[in-house]
Amino acid sequence: MLHDLGYSNVRHYRGGIADWVESGEPTESVTATASEPDPAAATPAGPPLAASPSGEIGRGPARLSRMRQLDNSVLDLVQRRSTLQLFLIWIGTILLSGSCYWLGALIGDHGLVEGGRPVGADLKGFASAVYFSFVTATSIGYGDIVPVGGARVIAIAEAVTALLVFGAVVAKFVSHRQEELVSEIHRVTFDERLDRVETNLHLVISEILSIASMCEAKAPLNRISTRLESAALLFLGELRTTRDLLYQPRLMVEEGVLAAILATLASALSVLSDLLASLPPEFSRSQPFMITLDRLTALAQEICGECVPHTYTPRLVFWMDRIQATARQIK
Amino acid sequence: MASEVNTAANSSAIPEISREELRRRLHDSSLAIVDVLPQESYASAHIPGALNLPLEMVAARARELLPDFAAEIAVYCGKFT
Repeated sequence: MLHDLGYSNVRHYRGGIADWVESGEPTESVTATASEPDPAAATPAGPPLAASPSGEIGRGPARLSRMRQLDNSVLDLVQRRSTLQLFLIWIGTILLSGSCYWLGALIGDHGLVEGGRPVGADLKGFASAVYFSFVTATSIGYGDIVPVGGARVIAIAEAVTALLVFGAVVAKFVSHRQEELVSEIHRVTFDERLDRVETNLHLVISEILSIASMCEAKAPLNRISTRLESAALLFLGELRTTRDLLYQPRLMVEEGVLAAILATLASALSVLSDLLASLPPEFSRSQPFMITLDRLTALAQEICGECVPHTYTPRLVFWMDRIQATARQIK
Repeated sequence: MASEVNTAANSSAIPEISREELRRRLHDSSLAIVDVLPQESYASAHIPGALNLPLEMVAARARELLPDFAAEIAVYCGKFT
């Protein structure tokens, strides 16, 4: 199996764990206190499946996975914050660092120096510290005020942090617009698709009705058969779309639109059922048509108020149940 | 080392690794030992240093646990198969 995935150097220890234990070799076990692998854990790139703490072998992949986990959690953190929150974090970083520079001035030689003189630990000094903090965070670095001693460490840490946070703010801002655009495009194409479903279902109805009149007019059976096959295929396609719509709704569909589609679907099913019942006895159903019909009824029977994973309004449930009931009658 | 790789005489195309070699290289980081048994079994007893990759999860998790395709891997399961 690993071979199939592309691993080239796999060997099999045929004895397995049973042979290992029998020969008296030591084994390891995972106690309840250890972080046990949980497939249902919330983290998508979950922890490695309990690599042993002492074994050299397990360490490489485990560390890699842990790093990825950290990476993911950082990305998650950024993902969850709004643009405004991130911006406030940025401002907070600057103010915090500003306070640190100011406190550094209190300690002594670890604050800021402006024009050769240390910045005082007074209110004016605080303003200077915040000003320097902004200049550092935006990576402008005028150089009119410079950090000395411990303040240098803070200045570097601040510059790095603030740059990263600001980058996140900008990225968030840009991606937000993009997401809006993408969802707008999705919505437009989706609306078009919905329109087409309804139109096609109406087409199916009128086609079935005209086939029914052909039957009454005693038209040649092979012509009826061909038209019925193509109508059933079209019907199947639209039915599948409707079923997917109910089972995996990607976007919210307006109740009215959905009700119209379901009602059309129900009446299409009932005219189809009527037609099939009224077909002349000498009409033989072709193999492809039988298959299409089977799939059609199977799909339609999956539509009912209780089978779909979401709860819909009574009106929609009524139509869904109607569809299922009609599909059951089709023979 | 290649001498110890004896291809299974019968059907299996996967070369084998002996218990002796496995024990000798238990602390050799160039050989990854993979336990393809279910998690419960792995939790109760596994070869020291083995990674757990239950069979049904191989396709999903292999890339994550074993990033190197060329790496030496020894797999084992429960019984004498």
